[in-house]
Amino acid sequence: MTIHPMQLVTIIGESLAREPILKLLREVGAHGWTFFEVSGSGRQGERTGEIPEYSNIQVEVIVPPAVAENLLNRLQHDFFPRFAMVAYLCEIRVLRAHKF
Amino acid sequence: MNHDLLQAIQANVLSPALLFFVLGLLAAVLRSDLRFPEPLYVALTIYLLVAIGLKGGVAIAEAGWARVGLPTLAALLLGTVIPLWAYPILRFLGRFSAVDAAAIAAHYGSVSAVTFGAATQYLDRLGESYEAYASAFLAVMESPAILIGVLLGKLAARGSDTIRWSSISTALREAVLGRSVFLLVGALGIGALSGRAGMDQVGPFFTAPFQGVLALFLLEMGMVAGRRLGDLRKVGGFLVGFGMVMPVLHGALGVGVGDWCGLTVGGTTLMGVLAASASYIAAPAAIRLSLPDANPTYYLTAALVITFPFNIALGVPLYYELARRLVH
Repeated sequence: MTIHPMQLVTIIGESLAREPILKLLREVGAHGWTFFEVSGSGRQGERTGEIPEYSNIQVEVIVPPAVAENLLNRLQHDFFPRFAMVAYLCEIRVLRAHKF
Repeated sequence: MNHDLLQAIQANVLSPALLFFVLGLLAAVLRSDLRFPEPLYVALTIYLLVAIGLKGGVAIAEAGWARVGLPTLAALLLGTVIPLWAYPILRFLGRFSAVDAAAIAAHYGSVSAVTFGAATQYLDRLGESYEAYASAFLAVMESPAILIGVLLGKLAARGSDTIRWSSISTALREAVLGRSVFLLVGALGIGALSGRAGMDQVGPFFTAPFQGVLALFLLEMGMVAGRRLGDLRKVGGFLVGFGMVMPVLHGALGVGVGDWCGLTVGGTTLMGVLAASASYIAAPAAIRLSLPDANPTYYLTAALVITFPFNIALGVPLYYELARRLVH
């Protein structure tokens, strides 16, 4: 069994940013991702999660380092000024590197 | 206060719908652990939109397009022009930024299907008949104001940087294909095509439980509004006043238009309710994507926490009373 280094980018932001995030993921060349409906609280107030206007989504996407860097750059320039959002990166290891 | 108007309001105060809304408000204010999961909220909105659409579609099939055409066109115009004066009022009297004024104006030109549903329930309780095809007015009033609002916001922001997804085409897509407009227009079409015979097949599911589903939905909206009461302090006194004065002005205008179109007291009331209501499903989604620089706290608080409760508690009986005097 061989395991390969890869990066996990997690984005947590308002639900109404779902479509723009999806578009961005396709543009930077991510091959797969997972969306979660979540609730929580942050600097821009409480996200109670009861209706889409007031809920958050969490997106997890596993990508190679170059894609991860591009993704975070795009988030910083185009998304952070306009949407309530955080994003972070973790080093992870995966099987089947070609999937990502 | 006038005796008739007082009676009209009293008839509304003890309706289950309004009482459930108040219960929801209480649940939020008293911090009860009562909470609806988001999928239930979505399911209730789908049910309500389909039920309203189907009923209207069947009514269109029965009344014929010739009768529906003029008032529907008038409703479309009403939805288009409302943002045109709401914008300067917000911009120059309310001192909002151009993009915030445009976003709020879009919400007030667009409409609330649930306020419409609550108004039909109110008319049913009073035994007042209305043109059931009024759902068509609802359907055509959702989108135009959103497009006008986005255009106003874009024109005002011309010259500053624009981002890729914030284009008119996004607004058009969201305004026309957003879930509420899509479902409502789809159900209207299905109702019109299948007619009374088709409605008899699915009718029991979409008519009898309607009042109960509406009551549950209002319980949820009471909680949503209750949790956001704190935002009233953030938006300022002007917007709170705007959220209650504009519905009355628009309601009176809608009643005038309904009467001019030759609608009954019930139909005229519904035209007033639609003009007075502010969108909180279709418009926020479209505006968040098309005018991302607009502050959602302003438009959501105005539409959801101020205007929606105002209309279902006081607005609906007021527009009914206006319609009764004008049409009779």
